[in-house]
Amino acid sequence: MGAMETTKTTETVEIGVLHRDGRTDPFFDGAAEDRLVIRRCEPCGRWYAPDQSGCPDCGADRLSWAPASGEATLVTWTVLHGRPAEDGTAPPPTILGLVELAEGPWLNARLDGVDAGALREGLPLRASFVHPAQGEPYLLFRPA
Amino acid sequence: MGESAAIAGLGMTELGKVYGRSARRLAADAVRRAVADAGLGLADLDGLVVSHGMSGSPGVELAAALGLRDLRVLTQMNAFGATAGAMVAYAAMSVISGAATTVACVFADAPLRPKQSSGAAYERSAREWYGYGGMTAALGFRSVNALYALAARRHMLRYGTTSEQFGAIAVSTRRWATMNPLAQMRDPITLEDHQSSRWVAEPLHLLDCCLVSNGAIAVVITSADRARDLARPPVHIWGWGQGHPGHRRERGSEFGLTTGAAISGPIAMKMAGVTVSDIDLCQLYDCYTYTVLVSLEDYGFCAKGEGGAFVESGALSPGGSLPTNTGGGQLSGYYMWGMTPLSEAVIQARGDGGERQVAKRDVILVSGNGGILDHHSTLILSPHRKEA
Ligand SMILES: [Zn+2]
Repeated sequence: MGAMETTKTTETVEIGVLHRDGRTDPFFDGAAEDRLVIRRCEPCGRWYAPDQSGCPDCGADRLSWAPASGEATLVTWTVLHGRPAEDGTAPPPTILGLVELAEGPWLNARLDGVDAGALREGLPLRASFVHPAQGEPYLLFRPA
Repeated sequence: MGESAAIAGLGMTELGKVYGRSARRLAADAVRRAVADAGLGLADLDGLVVSHGMSGSPGVELAAALGLRDLRVLTQMNAFGATAGAMVAYAAMSVISGAATTVACVFADAPLRPKQSSGAAYERSAREWYGYGGMTAALGFRSVNALYALAARRHMLRYGTTSEQFGAIAVSTRRWATMNPLAQMRDPITLEDHQSSRWVAEPLHLLDCCLVSNGAIAVVITSADRARDLARPPVHIWGWGQGHPGHRRERGSEFGLTTGAAISGPIAMKMAGVTVSDIDLCQLYDCYTYTVLVSLEDYGFCAKGEGGAFVESGALSPGGSLPTNTGGGQLSGYYMWGMTPLSEAVIQARGDGGERQVAKRDVILVSGNGGILDHHSTLILSPHRKEA
């Protein structure tokens, strides 16, 4: 599997500082190399989101980590608007979606580089990582 | 037939922008009012079931705060918006089994502070985030509005449901609220008002979203035999059910398309010995307009995917075929989680609805919804004792 497009965009999302939590560190190891690493159940082959613990399908209590393709399609989305300030100005809206990875699981996805009006079910997307100066990298989904 | 249970008392504090009282104090006030409403005293209680909202209080220590002694049932329950229905079911089972005779169920919350917007009351901000879940939260997945918007959009994509159809629910619910002196929002609104209200999380407008309220509501449950001799007309508990679909977040998921009402509804109706065509009025959990629409489908009031056309028909409005959220619900009335639909059901069953009283009220469906459509509860209530 090849490395994904490295994003050194200047349009980084202001999120504060992201730290590892000791439970999902392999996700961030992958992110550091621009690879989407998620959970996989070795006994039954099913794929899960990085925060899944245990396989609800076969009952395996341990999931391993494995690189996913990073390819996804859009399931549903919302344009989240910030609350207007006293002077009527509002922060720029955020586009959030549920995306279906090629391997099957859905991820909570922050969409980037998309026009809200052009979004549609099934839109091809690709995992992409931002590497802020401080803290861990984070995941965005951009048009494939 | 054997023993059955009934709601004998209803206690509600002031609701809305009620400041200066903690959630525990509000809960205590609601329990006192519910007991007095039933014509009982606190010493008559031998059971207490507690649930709280965002405030994280009260818990079982409420019993001590009320000075209750020698309780036989005391617990805290939480299935979020489905809790009220679950509490009533547990209290009914306690009474029927003989574990207790007189059980109060209470919900309280006080998320609002003076000079703070409703949204801010439920918002958490942090500059430091931890792990994968922290990352998605940092990127925006800490907004309940956004999560319901994702669900609502999915319904629209699959079934062609429109924002105007969500708006029909906002308008009919407000029509009911105009006749409820307890409702926080009593000015009539039009579909145009709904469409022009600001976006919160597309496709949800501001008028698709519930209020935020401080306050507490309690009910007292006892045997149907005993309730008959108490102060107020009994509201008989005919049936109950829960449904927790556990939709996976993966290919083929039904997220946004079906809810636990598809499980809890048939269980409660079978227990009650009724079918969907017997329901005279509905009190449905309406954290969002969309929640009402999808719940109506899952209960079988219309076919899956036809909720939009059903609500546009005017069925839910005053004079409609299925009066729904007759106190203004949580969209326009007051936001007391599952106690909002339950309290209005008790008011309607007793015939206390005043200007908004629905004439035919023999069978009332009460629906709770918690999490992001993760938890559902259903109650079937009636002013009549169920025939054997
Ligand atoms: Zn497995």
